[in-house]
Amino acid sequence: MRAALPVLCLLAAAVLAAQTPAAKPPAARPAAPSYKDLKYPTLRPIQIPPVATFTLPNGLRLYLLEDHELPLVSGTALVRTGNLFDPADKVGLATVTGMVMRTGGTRTKTGDQLDVELENIAASVEAGIGESTGSVSFSTLKENTDEVLGVFHDVLTAPEFRQDKIDLAKTQLRSSIARRNDDEHGIAQREFANIVYGRSTPYGWQIEYATVNRIQREDLLGFYRRYFFPANTMLAIRGDFSTAQMKARIEKLFADWTVEQPKVPAFPAVQRESAAGVYLASKNDVTQTAFVVGHLGGMVSDRDFPALEVMADILGGGFSSRLFRKVRTQLGYAYSISADWGADFDHPGLFRISGSTKSASTTDTIQAVQQEIERIRSGEVSESELQIAKDTALNSMVFEFDTKAKTLGRLLTYEYFGYPKDFIQRYQKALAAVSRADVLRVAREHLSPKDLTIVAVGKPEDFGKPLSALGAPVKTLDLTIPEPPSEKAAADPGSLAKGKQLLQRVQEAVGGAAKLAAVRDVVEVIDFRLDQSAGGMKVKQTDVWLEPNHFRQDSEMPFGKISAYSDGQSGWVHTPQGTGPLGAAQLKQVQGDLFRLYFRFLLSDQIPGRTVTAVSDDTLEISDREGHSARLVVNSQTGLPEKVTYESVQMAGTPMAVEDRYADFQEVNGLKVPHKITIERGGRKFADLTVMEYKLNTGLKPEDLKKQP
Amino acid sequence: MRPLRCVLFLLPLVLGAQDLKEFEKKVTEFTLANGLHFIVVERHEAPVVSFHTYVNAGSVDDPSGETGIAHMFEHMAFKGTESIGTRNWPEEKKALADVEQVYNRLDDERNKGKRADPQKIKVLETELKAAIEKANSHVVPNLFPQIIEENGGVGMNASTGLDATEYFYSLPSNRIELWFLLESQRFLHPVFREFYKERDVVMEEYRMRVESSPRGKLFQSFLATAFEAHPYRVMGTGWPSDIRNLRVEDAWEFFRKYYVPANITMGIVGDVQPSEAKRLADKYFSALPRRPMPPLLHTVEPSQAGPKRSDVYSPSQPILMVGYKRPDEYDKDDPVFDVISELLSGGRTSRMYADMVRDKRMALFASSGDTFPGGKYPNLFVFFIGPALGHTVEENEKELYALLERFKNEKVSEEELSRVKTKTRAGLIRRLASNPGLASLLTAYYADYGDWRKLFTSIQDVEKVTAGDVQRVARSCFVPEQRTVTYTSQPAKPAGGAQ
Repeated sequence: MRAALPVLCLLAAAVLAAQTPAAKPPAARPAAPSYKDLKYPTLRPIQIPPVATFTLPNGLRLYLLEDHELPLVSGTALVRTGNLFDPADKVGLATVTGMVMRTGGTRTKTGDQLDVELENIAASVEAGIGESTGSVSFSTLKENTDEVLGVFHDVLTAPEFRQDKIDLAKTQLRSSIARRNDDEHGIAQREFANIVYGRSTPYGWQIEYATVNRIQREDLLGFYRRYFFPANTMLAIRGDFSTAQMKARIEKLFADWTVEQPKVPAFPAVQRESAAGVYLASKNDVTQTAFVVGHLGGMVSDRDFPALEVMADILGGGFSSRLFRKVRTQLGYAYSISADWGADFDHPGLFRISGSTKSASTTDTIQAVQQEIERIRSGEVSESELQIAKDTALNSMVFEFDTKAKTLGRLLTYEYFGYPKDFIQRYQKALAAVSRADVLRVAREHLSPKDLTIVAVGKPEDFGKPLSALGAPVKTLDLTIPEPPSEKAAADPGSLAKGKQLLQRVQEAVGGAAKLAAVRDVVEVIDFRLDQSAGGMKVKQTDVWLEPNHFRQDSEMPFGKISAYSDGQSGWVHTPQGTGPLGAAQLKQVQGDLFRLYFRFLLSDQIPGRTVTAVSDDTLEISDREGHSARLVVNSQTGLPEKVTYESVQMAGTPMAVEDRYADFQEVNGLKVPHKITIERGGRKFADLTVMEYKLNTGLKPEDLKKQP
Repeated sequence: MRPLRCVLFLLPLVLGAQDLKEFEKKVTEFTLANGLHFIVVERHEAPVVSFHTYVNAGSVDDPSGETGIAHMFEHMAFKGTESIGTRNWPEEKKALADVEQVYNRLDDERNKGKRADPQKIKVLETELKAAIEKANSHVVPNLFPQIIEENGGVGMNASTGLDATEYFYSLPSNRIELWFLLESQRFLHPVFREFYKERDVVMEEYRMRVESSPRGKLFQSFLATAFEAHPYRVMGTGWPSDIRNLRVEDAWEFFRKYYVPANITMGIVGDVQPSEAKRLADKYFSALPRRPMPPLLHTVEPSQAGPKRSDVYSPSQPILMVGYKRPDEYDKDDPVFDVISELLSGGRTSRMYADMVRDKRMALFASSGDTFPGGKYPNLFVFFIGPALGHTVEENEKELYALLERFKNEKVSEEELSRVKTKTRAGLIRRLASNPGLASLLTAYYADYGDWRKLFTSIQDVEKVTAGDVQRVARSCFVPEQRTVTYTSQPAKPAGGAQ
């Protein structure tokens, strides 16, 4: 019966001439008719409006579409860039650039001035950079078009990136990082994507405090200059205007935008590696588990894309899908459950089945999902399932064309990713031709049960059946957010008082402030072992300190001895290759070490210029006027220092987050001093230090330290 | 009295009136003999139509002990009818009656309380499970929504609010009759099949929206603290213990009482001929019997005696919610509250954004809402704030109060005020471009105010708001004795760790 309906011909372009015209509805009947008896007239053809397309002399491509229904004009400049181009140590750069392009104002006006100007006329200009697109858009009442276009032009071509708004954007991003583990659905989706794409790839890495902190104005300017140029930009405008006039306006307005840059390279490729496994993230404040099951998907341009869409719809599309029927309707296990083939335009997307269920039915529900994946691979779907899926897609296709905004948006997307203009018509034809055999074939070829990544976020104690029942070892996800290495804590009176209190507790625990203050010089002999991952080298090192700021280090390396000395302001370094002055980076390193010298660091509340604040019940932040800063984490039971975190200056490149963990406290001159220190750099184990000998107050003189070998 | 101001405001007023006049030409309204009201708007840009059913009853109408029933009914409205979704209606009808009969026996036993026989309960529970399975064997699952989907329906969903329940979707415009048929059958011959399975689904929804969501937990505590008597104190999802005991008969009672034709408004917007809509409305909906209007809700929230506060422990990052009691949306000052909310948190020029987010950087987000959780009854003007990293809820709460004091003490500038008015007017124009949006707005305005034109005339009400009005209302509303504060906080933590 359904085959008789004119379901395949919603588009003007499609073949709909042969259909029967509107059947006259039957005269009103007393009883309710069946929906099966309804006869529908042919859908009237859709007029797809032509989009006027131009390329301006500067290379800017312009797309104009008149829309006179309402007195509005809106537009979008699409720029080929994205956060896929973020440097690995500054993840977040594209995002900050996109935010501050608008908020940081233009050459002539601050962002705050733009806010007032635009809001006074109920208009908007906004910028943003996503994964693989950058955009600046505007919307205005027709009467203010000129004024708003002027602001739009300035934001696109002459953003100023004022520092105050860079700071604001970074603050906002850091606050968002702090909140990223609050929603279990968000966690599940994020972890799934990061695992499947790989955490070390641009598709799978994430913004961290450290990567945000490194972003500077110069980076924003560089990123902007590289990608925002006319030949790399498509501008689409829609609304209540005449095409000829708007074209002339834009040509004139953007005539001054003439910057050139080399062609932007392709986005990085996705690495096709299996990330199979069962992953669990514990969250103890929930009664429900959020889960995602899936693996790498495909591209919109794949030959099998239409059949895969049909397959995914039958598996978990709407109310009539297999997963919805099984997991929600039959089992009553879930409110939300859905499958998505999730192809992307220019790189493999994610095949995902997502849902949530009460903790106790977690494993059962995931097993039901796995069974449905197996089932769709093991036999053809029924004719009625196929028909429902195809009808659903084809009959709703008209909504792809119901507004001019969608028509223009689609054209822009196709052009941006290099798809043919009539891609949707081709897709529609291919969809109509999908057979049951096709669905089975693509399910077998593209769904791979052995490669499934399963991520569950919830409270494992309540799972009833443990996740291990899924038959694979369960890997635990650590959601701990790496601490910001040098974020300054707010120095309000409360945290200052608390900071002093906590530091005094530490002083008590190690032997008392008086004993600490009595330390005049230190000699420390250390067995320094680099971790295997860092080369595994062994070094015997002697560190000598004499107040106030004399510091010497002698290291016995496999390739010879290195000695260095500094008085805190300058110094020398002696290597087997010769002697020279300390470089700027090395000097900074020494100054940092002096700032964190155990006996001085713990006395920071008595050293002028140093600020001690409590950032939490067990963590202090200590900083000085020279810009040094480090955090001290205190063991809540013993009051002893547990670890110190800070940013170290690198010989080259950006600072790195370092963490020194203290253990094996032994008494030296009545003071508890750690004899084992583990160093982590950038979240990785770097070295183990064992103190072989500690000598305090041996009466050293500056000359003893200054003496060159 | 103030001739200058009148001149200043003449222009926007005229524009508003013109908008309305222009728009009115596209609107057709009619009411069936049973009281069911239709609003039809012609927009022939594309061959699509959006439908919106607005039932003027919501979770505030949940009977005590049956919280969640309005929401449960909304779920049942997708379960089909006597002719849609069954393999054999007479058999299924019998099986459904058997389920209820066993359930009644089970409840009889349970109602003995302490004297109930656990063995008997166990037996009856097993029997009930079997009866449910038998009834389910007659079901063609999800056929009702499936018909909509396979006919190209998009945006199909429903929502249960405290004030109203809404059902909506869009179809290609050659299938208009399908909506008339399905929507009328939905209310003429509903069948509450798979009720007890769906109850589990509704419980899952509660876990998702409330128990497992820091915001949900915050809202639940905030409302229960702010309201002592009025049903606004319970979220629409209801209480879990009530949900677990909802019965089919409860849904029927709710349906019979509140799903009365005169209590329902239907909006149809898009490629539709009004005459055709009228003909189909008569054909399909006339059979709905005229029934008396549901009783009004009589419970009135007693006046608040002093500031209130509640804490929600949560390991997540803190969120702060502050609310002040305000009158219902029919109050003459309603547009003043709209203006205040826009002044305080609409856009980057707003007071809260500029102060708390941009300049002091103590908040990640800081927003206000002029009506919460519903508008038909006296409710709350709310503030919703997420402190920035390193800043506390206490700090943000203090800053909010300081900001409100400044707002009460100094009159807002004419520039700020006229900015808000311009934005409100432009906002309306932007809303006119969407079929589903219009269908939703027009039915809501008709149901709430008795005339959809209020959508346009409310703009004129906003135009009339003065700086004096803003100050007067702010001074009477933002006072400690009308305040409720709730925030999430971390209980004393053991040692470090994000979660």
